[in-house]
Amino acid sequence: MPRYAMVIDLQRCVGCGSCSISCRNENNVSEGIYWSHKITETSGTFPNVRYHYIPTLCNHCTNAPCAQGCPTNAMHKLDNGITMHDPKKCIGCRYCMINCPYGVIYFNWKDAHPSWRGNKAVIQGATSSPAEEVRKVGGNGTPYYNPERDETLPGIRPKGVVEKCTFCDHRLKRDKLPSCVESCPADARIFGDLDDPQSQVNQLLGKFRPFRLKEALGTEPAVFYIRDFSAAGYPRTKGGI
Amino acid sequence: MKRQLWIGILVAGILLGLWTTFKVYTAGFTVYAKTDVLVWTLPLSTYIFLSLTSAGLAFVSSIPVVFGIKRYEAIEKRTVYLEIAVLLGSFVCLILHLGAPLKVVYILLSPNPSSPLWWLAVLYMVYFVLLVAAFWRIHTGKMSRALGTLVFLIAIFTSTTLGWLLGMTDARPSLNASFFSFYFPLTGFASGLAALILFCILDEELSGQERSEGHTVLYNEAARLMGITAGMVLVLFLWRTISGGISSTAIEYGAFRHMIGSIPYNIEFWLGLVVPTVLMLIPSIRATAWGKLTASALLLVGMFAGRLEFVLSGVVRPLGQMAEGRPEIVSYIPTVYEVLVALFGLSVMLLIYTLGERYLKLEAVPE
Repeated sequence: MPRYAMVIDLQRCVGCGSCSISCRNENNVSEGIYWSHKITETSGTFPNVRYHYIPTLCNHCTNAPCAQGCPTNAMHKLDNGITMHDPKKCIGCRYCMINCPYGVIYFNWKDAHPSWRGNKAVIQGATSSPAEEVRKVGGNGTPYYNPERDETLPGIRPKGVVEKCTFCDHRLKRDKLPSCVESCPADARIFGDLDDPQSQVNQLLGKFRPFRLKEALGTEPAVFYIRDFSAAGYPRTKGGI
Repeated sequence: MKRQLWIGILVAGILLGLWTTFKVYTAGFTVYAKTDVLVWTLPLSTYIFLSLTSAGLAFVSSIPVVFGIKRYEAIEKRTVYLEIAVLLGSFVCLILHLGAPLKVVYILLSPNPSSPLWWLAVLYMVYFVLLVAAFWRIHTGKMSRALGTLVFLIAIFTSTTLGWLLGMTDARPSLNASFFSFYFPLTGFASGLAALILFCILDEELSGQERSEGHTVLYNEAARLMGITAGMVLVLFLWRTISGGISSTAIEYGAFRHMIGSIPYNIEFWLGLVVPTVLMLIPSIRATAWGKLTASALLLVGMFAGRLEFVLSGVVRPLGQMAEGRPEIVSYIPTVYEVLVALFGLSVMLLIYTLGERYLKLEAVPE
């Protein structure tokens, strides 16, 4: 059984956001919910300022506090290391959200895709209403509904339950990479098996100095970050007083 | 006439609560002050307030059977009934906090014993059954010593498990302090005593009954105990403030540092702890009915605010990617619907108590 992990190369990441967009399409993620997101960090003091992106997603922690705290095993660990969620068992207590140190679990406060439920056309008699548009193209909740998501998880999650990234477990079952990995134009996301010493993930982890988010908490995230990007240079100096 | 008006007010509170329930499950949880950051708010803090008060009442009702102090049998039946009423009120708030309450059956079908929340759910189920059984025993004859001891033990387990539940949250140290497993039962005991004094004295005052000497001695003793407990809570509260809010440099405590200046914190500190402690330290005030009523009412108001302050101190600071595009501290004002949930729980509790007072002879003493 593989033990899946992801390496994110911050030098290659251009911050285009295609990971987040492809994730939304692949997993029918509703508005306001982010299975794939980012943290923007600003460093320096004006006028010497720059910002950095840290792409984020569920860390699929080995010691997942969300799964440990879930009273019904709705949030649970799979043998392949994925932290999976079963909305059928979720009672909506949101204890996983309290336990998650990374803020990657979201609650469905309302029915999914509210903007596609409207019955009002922008121009009466000329354009379709959002709901008509969904019906016309045979969608489900959205016109771009992906039925493949239904294979392991309800394609549209109901209100009152939580949801989060699953490493595209439905794609992995068909030997496909997670959607965010496949769509990254800069190949900044590298996915593989931690238990395979020859995997590209392990090669990168051995070559660079990886870090993980909030490592001191002992959650053992399966998402690693390597390198950093800065095009800036500076003249050699010893500073001054 | 007064009773009918009172029941009418409580029924109105329940009807508003049912309307809120309808809104929550049709419009969604957006009727609450929802953000992905503020995931636990007033409905949950009201549940914590009521459930810990119920546990505190259980400690009081256990005094005659567990500790053998027989004079407390005079208020045993009323205390046990009040525990049930308060617990049912807390369940109302909990149900309206949960996103999918009908799925709680999975707590039995798909148990996770590593979860403190699972243990809490199981303990509350057992607790409720034991309480009903205990009340039935008192109502029909005599309290069973074994049953009373079990209620006492389960009350300890429920209130301390809540400390474990929040103590597990390593990422939110404002919620995570090892002494909460002690703090919760102690604060629960304080609010339980306050609720008991308030309800007993109010009952007698409103019904115009003449207070027996035995009851006067008992209430004075309970009031003294309440003052001592409030004082102990005050000391712990101050140490929590000093260690987590003033001397700690960890950025994760920023949420708690923010809450120190908040309205719920100051209500809890001044109205809920300082004033009742001082009032109950002064013998001349402690001896009066109004003194006891004022102190117990203030303590309950303070505890109610304190549970909200406690819950918010864990959530107002966004973590990880939730902080993206948000301020360092997220502000919170409860919505009308959240207030109605709290009122729903309180109305259910008060109506059950009022009906019990009317039909179940709560003043009866077990044989």
